[in-house]
Amino acid sequence: MSDTILEIKDLVVHYVTDRTTVRAVNGISISLERGESLGLVGETGAGKTTTALSIMQLIPDPPGRIVSGEIRYEGEDLVAMSPARKREIRGNQVSMIFQDPMTALNPVLTVGDQIAEVVRLHQKISRAKATVKAQEMLELVGIPGERYPEYPHQFSGGMKQRVVIAMALACDPKLLIADEPTTALDVTIQDQVLDLIEKLMTGSGTSLILITHDLGVVAEICQKAAIMYAGEIVEYGTLPHIYQNTQHPYTVGLFGSVPNLNEDVDRLRPIKGLMPDPTEVPAGCVFAPRCPEASAECSAAPAPVVEVEPGHFVKCHKRRGGGSK
Amino acid sequence: MSDTVSMKKRGQFKETWRRFTKNKGAVIGLGFIALLAVCALIPSVIAPYGFDDQLLSRRFQSPSGAHLFGTDEYGRDIFSRVVYGCRISLTLGLVSVTISCALGIVLGCVAGYYGKVADNVIMRVIDVMLSIPNILLAVSIVAALGTSFFNLMLAIGIGAVPGYARVVRAAILSVKEQEYIEAARSNGASDLRIIVSHIVPNCMAPIIVQATMSIASAVLSAAGMSFIGLGIMPPTPEWGSMLSSGRAYIRDYWYVVTFPGLAIMLTVFSINLLGDGLRDALDPRLKS
Repeated sequence: MSDTILEIKDLVVHYVTDRTTVRAVNGISISLERGESLGLVGETGAGKTTTALSIMQLIPDPPGRIVSGEIRYEGEDLVAMSPARKREIRGNQVSMIFQDPMTALNPVLTVGDQIAEVVRLHQKISRAKATVKAQEMLELVGIPGERYPEYPHQFSGGMKQRVVIAMALACDPKLLIADEPTTALDVTIQDQVLDLIEKLMTGSGTSLILITHDLGVVAEICQKAAIMYAGEIVEYGTLPHIYQNTQHPYTVGLFGSVPNLNEDVDRLRPIKGLMPDPTEVPAGCVFAPRCPEASAECSAAPAPVVEVEPGHFVKCHKRRGGGSK
Repeated sequence: MSDTVSMKKRGQFKETWRRFTKNKGAVIGLGFIALLAVCALIPSVIAPYGFDDQLLSRRFQSPSGAHLFGTDEYGRDIFSRVVYGCRISLTLGLVSVTISCALGIVLGCVAGYYGKVADNVIMRVIDVMLSIPNILLAVSIVAALGTSFFNLMLAIGIGAVPGYARVVRAAILSVKEQEYIEAARSNGASDLRIIVSHIVPNCMAPIIVQATMSIASAVLSAAGMSFIGLGIMPPTPEWGSMLSSGRAYIRDYWYVVTFPGLAIMLTVFSINLLGDGLRDALDPRLKS
């Protein structure tokens, strides 16, 4: 744990409206080392994007509010930082790839100018040099540099996502947050984009937080995974921990709902029920209402975090005595 | 490299131009405005007489080869005065629109982007301004500042600010929620930069349309102001004041008011045609 780049401690984010309070993120803790990549997995509404936006300090306020907790980037608390310092860090040291490349690019600026803008925001270099840098970035993501003066609508979806990646990586960030970078793309392009991200990450020393609902994607790219459910991290560990020694009933359920080529089953086994309404989070374990193993104690008190093996954390009453095989 | 840049830019422009030229009315409007612009630039070449060449012996001559639109009560050639009048009307339209456009964009941006208190304060002031009839506002401003060409432009410009502020604010409200604005923010861009280089360019289409349309109403208000004697002072040939002074002779000499009136009507009409054409050409929803 010597070279920690990002450390989130007990982060709580609420969206407060006149009538209700949406508890989007309820006390999550993550730590990420230099060069490490973490997969953040969970269903829609689990709080993945809110987590990412709080790292970027881009939670829309109002209604969003970071209620408590700290986000330390290289030891500096991002929550308490001045707006000017935040701007220095954004795009330069921490950058983000958005979910939908169709809307993440400004339609009236050329793609090259948009990449060059990021460079010029953070490095004191001339327009000409920024142009050259932007062309290099385009080449790096596999787009010919001559397409610099073209507009986003002249690119296909997959290419737009490459442009977004080029923008995010233009200043060699130390931390890259990819918010479902492949969700809006079709399967073959997904593969290309993932390969590209993987290629660019290797050896660059950049840490990655990959947000997805696809366990397969995490298996391909990440070293660690955190499973999120209703604003909490229910299971956290390295890939072997999560994939080979699955502990939390929710994670088990997730794997059960993925089609498997090697197993012959007639039906997938989806997790019964729906995620709890984030305005009324259950008092006990958040997963208790849907959990096949739930008992009375589960709905009585919040689940404790149990370290079932070194570095493998599970938030579950039933695992208190250590992991089950 | 720079070659490709200019080529692509021309490509975009060409596309808009192609859509624009499909609209016959808009092209006619543009043609007429081009004609007016030529008149405004080189009136001395086009007009056969000076705008204040008086000769009482030839007063009230009917339209003829020598005096296309006839002559007025001082024997001045009406055609020449209409031609010289272009300069006043077009300058006034452009300058007052520039004034209102600049003010309106700034106010609209602040209101739309920052929202909350800023939005409330600015938009309520705008509402108050909207409740004052434009001509009354312009009359009060000119009365307070004194009658001059610049004050007239300022008065008309200020009257048009609310329209811009509303259009710009509405456009910004829809653009600022777009993901690319959030992406720009995630890249570390400051508020000013986001407004200037990401939001405003995306709001240009409604602003251009609003600007074109309000040139027409500026020309009209200027004519109105001159008609009631608070605008351009004689002998400067202004269409509105020509109407005003010709009004007394309307029963006997129809051409004294008809031609300046036609000039105003055709100018406003063609600017409106042009504005409609531009709106259709720039509207992204109609892009094929």
